[in-house]
Amino acid sequence: MRLARLVGLACAAGAILTMTGCGTIGVKPWQRDLLAKKEMALDANPLDAAIDDHVYFSKEAASGGRGFGGGGCGCN
Amino acid sequence: MQLKKPPTPLRLGLMAASCALLGSPAAKAQTAADGEQPLLIDAGVLYYKEDQGRVQTIEPIVRFKKDYGDEHVLGVTLAFDSLTGGSPNGAIPSRKAQTFATPSGTSLQPVSGVPQTYTTPSGQVVAALAKVTLYSVQPALLPLDPNFHDRRIAADVSWAQPVATDTHASIAGHLSNELDFDSAAFNAALSHDFNGKNTTVSAGVNGELDAVKPIGGAPVGGSDYTQLLKNGSKSKDVVGGLLGVTQVMSRRWVAQLNYTYDKSNGYLTDPYKIVSVVDGTGTETGYRFESRPDKRTRQSLYFGNKAYVGGEVLDISYRRSKDDWGIKSDTVDGRLRIDLGNDIYLEPHARWYHQGAADFYHLYLNQSDALPAYLSADPRLADFKATTFGAKFGVGFGGNTELSLRIEQYQQKPTDTTSSLAALQGLNLNPGLKTVIVQLGWRYDY
Repeated sequence: MRLARLVGLACAAGAILTMTGCGTIGVKPWQRDLLAKKEMALDANPLDAAIDDHVYFSKEAASGGRGFGGGGCGCN
Repeated sequence: MQLKKPPTPLRLGLMAASCALLGSPAAKAQTAADGEQPLLIDAGVLYYKEDQGRVQTIEPIVRFKKDYGDEHVLGVTLAFDSLTGGSPNGAIPSRKAQTFATPSGTSLQPVSGVPQTYTTPSGQVVAALAKVTLYSVQPALLPLDPNFHDRRIAADVSWAQPVATDTHASIAGHLSNELDFDSAAFNAALSHDFNGKNTTVSAGVNGELDAVKPIGGAPVGGSDYTQLLKNGSKSKDVVGGLLGVTQVMSRRWVAQLNYTYDKSNGYLTDPYKIVSVVDGTGTETGYRFESRPDKRTRQSLYFGNKAYVGGEVLDISYRRSKDDWGIKSDTVDGRLRIDLGNDIYLEPHARWYHQGAADFYHLYLNQSDALPAYLSADPRLADFKATTFGAKFGVGFGGNTELSLRIEQYQQKPTDTTSSLAALQGLNLNPGLKTVIVQLGWRYDY
């Protein structure tokens, strides 16, 4: 079962790579024009992310993932 | 003239992954590799309101980030929460009115100024609660403690800098104070770029020490609610770590994979939550204070992506988590930033979440069953699905100022909401939750 799940994930990753034309992974320095846009940062809106983490931490049993698991609050 | 390096989303993502301090904002302050922003002020006000008169909060939050050059970045975040409203006490709705004593209220004197007594569902008159404020809940309604209120002040400080070629370090600290809870935390992380800065690996550790000071004291887990057996203050600690890989996949796609692990020890029970006890017909015969294990180990796997698709920016992530309380969860989160021109954008957001119940979650207890070692009816430990839908609208001014408005609705739908017991039939025992989230934002890059 676990093996089937891993194979499925590998197939999905392969499909994504194919669809995005990623024959080779990575870029040259002169190809970073789009990646350099502020909105392309993985953490482009840290304040929004912090507020979301706080809200979901107080209402759900799971937290974190982007960073360390939530805490620092007596709300859960 | 010294040319500044172009900001790389790789570093932004990496530092976010390695340094996000316990879900709090400050550790993210060091995330930007934007040498072009000597000082950034990011401020917002959150308005959060639950339906049915439940919790509402207003939270102003401000984040400063000062770049001292050469990627030496200081981050400071300050936040203030003010919460009021009704909070579920864990008991289920009943066919008859229910009376409870408020453990979370600050008033320990009777409302009327005269001694009060409390009659348990079985008819026993308890005088020991004479100095505790009581509240009643009408038939068929979810019991909410209407006296809930709290306020929270939190401060986070972080520092990040290069420590070797292509290697960066960061440290962060957190302090927060609530009426009944104090927290101190730290984290530290290292990251290294290689493969032409297309790949970054990171590793970090975090720790947290909390003082839990319940109003009226921490109840004895599993004890009879009417006996008010309390033990004063408690504490807990958390130790954890994170491993992450960030990879530039293509000119239009950057991905991040994180694994987190943490262990909590100490008082992990909610001191204000109880569990209903019913007889064979479903009629309440009493209540028990909840009791949770004093250890918890959690793990999560997070896969985040940013992609440039047809001129818009797609942010999509998946998280799988599990813990040794038996809770497993899946989260899918997606945002699409649509550029409307003239420095205006619209960002629709959708999130789907599902969690399984904790092993010791019980909607209620049967009087005839043996009392379990651990028990909780906290809706946050139940099996439920949750969705978030909303959008953010942002307008830029002069190239360095942005105003934004975010409006979202968050909804929880529990799986286990009914009972076949006669007195409970037709009642919604866990009606779920619907909230509105409004956030005003102001961002200024000096």
